[in-house]
Amino acid sequence: MTQDAIIETRGLVRRFGGFAAVDGVDLTVARNSVHALIGPNGAGKTTVFNLVSKFLDPSEGQIFYNGRDITNTKPADVARQGMVRSFQISAIFGRMTVAENVRIALQRPTGLSFSFWRADSVLDNLADRVDELLDSVGLLDWRDRPAAGLSYGRKRALEFATTMALDPELMLLDEPMAGLGQQDVVRISELIAEQAKNRTILMVEHNLSVVAELADRITVLARGKILAEGDYKSIAADPAVIEAYIGDDID
Amino acid sequence: MTELLGVPPALLFGQVLIGLINGLFYAMMSMGVAIIFGMLRIGNFVHGAQYMLGAFGAWFLASLPQLFPGLGLPSLGYWWALILVPPAVAAIGALTERLFIRKVYDLEHAYGLLLTVGLAFVIEGLFNVKFGAAGQQYGVPDALKGGVNLGFMFLPIYRVWVIVAALVVCIATWVVIERTRLGAYLRAATENPDLVRAFGINVPRMLMLTYAFGVGLAGLTGVMAAPIYQVSPQMGQSVIVIIFAIVVIGGMGSIAGAIVSGIGLGIIEGLTKVFWPEASSTVIFICMALVLILRPQGLFGKDTSAHSGADITTARRESILENGRLWIPVLAIVGIVLPYLVYPVFAMKILCFALFACAYNLVFGYLGLLAFGHAAFFGAAAYGAAHIAAVWGWSPELAILGGTALATAIGALFGWLAIRRQGLYFAMITLALAQIVSFYAVQAEWTHGEDGIQSVPRGKLFGLIDLNDTMTMYFFVLTVFLLCFAFIYRLLRSPFGQVLRAIRDNNQRTVSLGYSADRFKLVAFTISAMLAGVAGGMKAIVFQIASLTDVHFMTSADALLMTLIGGVGTILGPVVGAAIVVTLQREFAEFGAWVIVVQGAAFVLCVLFLRQGVVGTAESWLGRRAERRREAELGAPAAEPKEEAAQ
Ligand SMILES: Nc1ncnc2c1ncn2[C@@H]1O[C@H](COP(=O)(O)OP(=O)(O)OP(=O)(O)O)[C@@H](O)[C@H]1O
Ligand SMILES: [Mg+2]
Repeated sequence: MTQDAIIETRGLVRRFGGFAAVDGVDLTVARNSVHALIGPNGAGKTTVFNLVSKFLDPSEGQIFYNGRDITNTKPADVARQGMVRSFQISAIFGRMTVAENVRIALQRPTGLSFSFWRADSVLDNLADRVDELLDSVGLLDWRDRPAAGLSYGRKRALEFATTMALDPELMLLDEPMAGLGQQDVVRISELIAEQAKNRTILMVEHNLSVVAELADRITVLARGKILAEGDYKSIAADPAVIEAYIGDDID
Repeated sequence: MTELLGVPPALLFGQVLIGLINGLFYAMMSMGVAIIFGMLRIGNFVHGAQYMLGAFGAWFLASLPQLFPGLGLPSLGYWWALILVPPAVAAIGALTERLFIRKVYDLEHAYGLLLTVGLAFVIEGLFNVKFGAAGQQYGVPDALKGGVNLGFMFLPIYRVWVIVAALVVCIATWVVIERTRLGAYLRAATENPDLVRAFGINVPRMLMLTYAFGVGLAGLTGVMAAPIYQVSPQMGQSVIVIIFAIVVIGGMGSIAGAIVSGIGLGIIEGLTKVFWPEASSTVIFICMALVLILRPQGLFGKDTSAHSGADITTARRESILENGRLWIPVLAIVGIVLPYLVYPVFAMKILCFALFACAYNLVFGYLGLLAFGHAAFFGAAAYGAAHIAAVWGWSPELAILGGTALATAIGALFGWLAIRRQGLYFAMITLALAQIVSFYAVQAEWTHGEDGIQSVPRGKLFGLIDLNDTMTMYFFVLTVFLLCFAFIYRLLRSPFGQVLRAIRDNNQRTVSLGYSADRFKLVAFTISAMLAGVAGGMKAIVFQIASLTDVHFMTSADALLMTLIGGVGTILGPVVGAAIVVTLQREFAEFGAWVIVVQGAAFVLCVLFLRQGVVGTAESWLGRRAERRREAELGAPAAEPKEEAAQ
């Protein structure tokens, strides 16, 4: 095993029916790096995310997290060990207020979550941290609104704040920029760069300028297989990558 | 060869034969339910009643001269029935789809199940009113009379015919679904309905025909079953629960799964009758539990990804209607006045059922889990408490606690099994598991079968306070109710309650934050079972009886109806709903068999016209008003900041 790999997959395969959405992926993510996973639509990027975060079980292969085999670990356990993911479609708790969304993440490490006999005012001491996190994504003014009413860009920001609240060792971000306006893209990019200072980030992203700016290393996925890997320059110059993308456009 | 495995071969083969026939019937009906479920996402609870319609159709055709004397109508026999009845039942199915089922496609799955439960009650209830519970005989057609003596057993020809015909139907259906273009569309539609819409197929018609086809299969099964079983209004009632269990065992969207599990379980059931008769009525449900442990997705099923629970409440947390600090005192005052306005015994009944419905609402309303077997907890606690008080002679509070402990244990076990599956499956599983408790109560000695445990002493509370005095009993019940209500309110506003809200909103996201969602659901489910147990135990002491009604499926349906009428996911809804339903039941009690029709109609009407329930409707009105007021304060749609307005 590579010394400083936080994630390593070996021969990862996931089939749906007869079709292999992920087909023998050996992916290594270095600790404290920003690693981007790119590729045409349907390449299997989200499926890799689902496998690594244990939301799907692999048909074949193994997954190591910090050198431990997590192939048979439950998703919630993986999350408690410090790997927290976001979803391609923004995942928030629509009925809860913006502040409650963040608080539910902060609540988890407190060990109070099974206390059904206590009033939830025991969580009031988390309020300062909630405000701090909301402020960092520019949502403080919305703290008491139902999350469902936020604009799409703000929902993504809220999801990001909720993920940050857990202070994860490894963040998996599935297309954090999808559907965002230019202003929001800049804001979230800055946040990701900020967060990357003391943790590892694995992200799927279609916006290549964002990838160029943020990622230390890039893996290109096509038809479930790794097509190329390297830094942005070498990837951008790789004829196979160019063909995969152009081929996709022609389809 | 006189004995085989210690039993006479005639008995063994006879039961295997019956098992095979039952199994084929199960297979035919499960296919229908699986197809309807796969395509329409409707848990077609009315399938049992539609099967009954098929059998009655056959009987009806044969009895035309007796039913309409003077019209000179001929008696149409079995073959006519075989040709005429299935299409007729299918046509009724198409009409049902057009009038009712279609209205709920776009709603939460829960409503489809509730609607079909209501329709089943109405149909079965009406037949019960007209024909009574007793069965009608339907003769074997002349051409198929008699049998062959195989030496070790007698083989009736009609049964051979049924086996052959049913196998042909199963195989033909399998071929159509798995091997033809039509079937390919159907399967594609199951996996991705939008895709099929994009193909330009007339989806509404396709759905209607699919439903009609599934229902027609039930009708055909009914005709074929008529000469073997008594034709009675209830004949579909127990079958539907078995069919649901088989669909769970077979696995989602799998025709082969339905056929193989149907036949297999029929035979297992037959064999159980030979070797362990007491278990024969529950063996299918026990098999289902085993499958859930070993292969949760079902024998032939693909794995299903988790999705969020049903979200059918509109209650705002900050609403005045959700404010327990206000409503607990109000309920206390109403509770104190109530026994002076209505009979105290009637008031106690309302309180017991209100608590039961509140317990149910905890999982259905606040967690979005469509549980359908809470009678098991209510009834188990009733029997437990009755036994402890009557046989062991313990004081009433210990009896209730004992009953509650029993309900809690069963709740933990059932929850542990059922939480492996989501959505409609959860309903089917809890329903089937509850059936085990129900059958157990019929058979066990200590529950005294049809009689139940009678003359339960109310005894002295803590050995001091005599509960035989009605008012004393009443205030004890009121106190317990208020304590439990306050407990639920606290739970909903605890850190635990916050996690439950998150799970209902977005199960996956909650998991990704590191919460083992299933464990939280299990704890909530167990607490709900416990509170249902308190209600059941108390009911046994108040009415001094525990009976089969308490564990019966109808009691589960009552909890659901009360919650629905009152308002799902509101704190007051179940209380209001219980008051309404208990009152209705009393008002209609004198009409006997009509009660069930009324209750079924209430289900249907609620699903179609009053989905939010009484309290829920008031709540949405208040919610809209609050929204308008906020907009007026902020200046219309000022939700977005200026920087973006400028964009
Ligand atoms: N649950 C599933 N069942 C069946 N097929 C699936 C499932 N999930 C993904 N697939 C298929 O696997 C392939 C890869 O999907 P995936 O979502 O991983 O792609 P992606 O690279 O994330 O694409 P995008 O850029 O569009 O998000 C697709 O062809 C998709 O249809
Ligand atoms: Mg994707």
